[in-house]
Amino acid sequence: MSGTNFNYATEAFDFIDGLDTLANPEDVVGAVAKAFTLFGFENFIITGLPNPKERFEQVVLLRKWPLGWFEIYTREDYVRSDPIIRLCKNTTQPFEWSEAPYDPVKEPKAAEVMDRATDFRMREGFCLPIHGINGYEACFSMSGVNLDLSPRTKPALHLMAMYAFERARQLLAPVPPARSSLLTPREREILIWAAAGKSAADTGDILGITERTVTAHIASACQKLDAVNKTQAVARALQYKLIGL
Amino acid sequence: MTKVHVITGENRDSYREQIKEYFLLRHEVFIKERGWKDLHHIDGQEIDAYDNANAVYLLAIDQDRVVGGQRLYPTLLPHMMSEVFGHMAQRGIPQAYDIFEWTRYFVIKERRMGRTDCRLLAAIQQFCLEEGITALTAVVEMWWLPRWQQVGFKVRPLGLPTIIEGQPCIAAEIRISQDSLDRVRNLAGLRGSALVRHGRLLPLLDQVPHVAA
Repeated sequence: MSGTNFNYATEAFDFIDGLDTLANPEDVVGAVAKAFTLFGFENFIITGLPNPKERFEQVVLLRKWPLGWFEIYTREDYVRSDPIIRLCKNTTQPFEWSEAPYDPVKEPKAAEVMDRATDFRMREGFCLPIHGINGYEACFSMSGVNLDLSPRTKPALHLMAMYAFERARQLLAPVPPARSSLLTPREREILIWAAAGKSAADTGDILGITERTVTAHIASACQKLDAVNKTQAVARALQYKLIGL
Repeated sequence: MTKVHVITGENRDSYREQIKEYFLLRHEVFIKERGWKDLHHIDGQEIDAYDNANAVYLLAIDQDRVVGGQRLYPTLLPHMMSEVFGHMAQRGIPQAYDIFEWTRYFVIKERRMGRTDCRLLAAIQQFCLEEGITALTAVVEMWWLPRWQQVGFKVRPLGLPTIIEGQPCIAAEIRISQDSLDRVRNLAGLRGSALVRHGRLLPLLDQVPHVAA
């Protein structure tokens, strides 16, 4: 093992051990800002994904973003066209911003968000998707103009970001409900069977509960997802990645 | 309803069918689906050197059908982290009579909506608490970390992530605790124990072979 490599490891483990001593979310912002500067990062955000009724600022967990950019991003609702956010939903692996695909012609708003970010020294970036027990949960995206991203630094960053996210979640709980907690495990289970074409009666047989209970869970899921029927509830749950197939 | 059955060298005979199904599923999940090419398989069953009398299996079984599984192995014996993945544990490999290695965890494809995972994860915490096992070691894909943390597992990294079969993986130690068990049960709305012990099983730690690792 090279000396440099060892330093990154030490840096990462010290950072992770230090997280336990932090008492509030602002301390996590400070610790992340300090440690990630070593890799060239100037800004970062940890955010969930808003459903159609939520606003972006409601699902942001932590941020150290230029205020001007946060205002623009919120006002323009860029979260719904941001190619970084989109890739987060579809991969469990960390990636560089340059690896997030979009079509500048067909997706002008995706091009716009990437372009305007550079006005705020957000030229390059590294992003870690966080997937919980029920699928996509959050995105930890960090950026700057001159990043030290290499096969040597990325593993340390990957690990540090995951622990920082967890510490933030612990300190913020239970204020912002995690996206996945929108539906109960039972509601998700039943929607998955519905997606597989099972009737409420079939699902009841499979799960060993009554049809009436299944219907009650579906009704509850419909309400939470603002869906008029089971079909729409399944479609929305898939769209928000609350269930997978 | 899905129960998690404890299968050791002592009661393995009464689970012959389920163990075979578990090995078949391991082939399905780890070799066919995940593409781990280094694994050995015979007659469509994935079986390795640690599938011996010292292994303990906790299998999720729903009406005779295996829907998920996991394996425990004493760290005082040569085990995967000591023999194969030592380079991933730069901070040292935890080895003690009350520390077990946790491997071959999976849930079958059609049950991957969270609840079966939570059942298996609750079962492992409960089993370890009952047996006096204080910690587990494991090598997992990095995307597992936030899942474990979400269900309240206390996870200490033993090294930096390393790419294995194209996936960043990490060696980690999990401290067993009642808090973690409560948290995972709470999250999934699991009431009470789902652990089944058939036959007369002696306390596990009394049987750990005291062989120098």
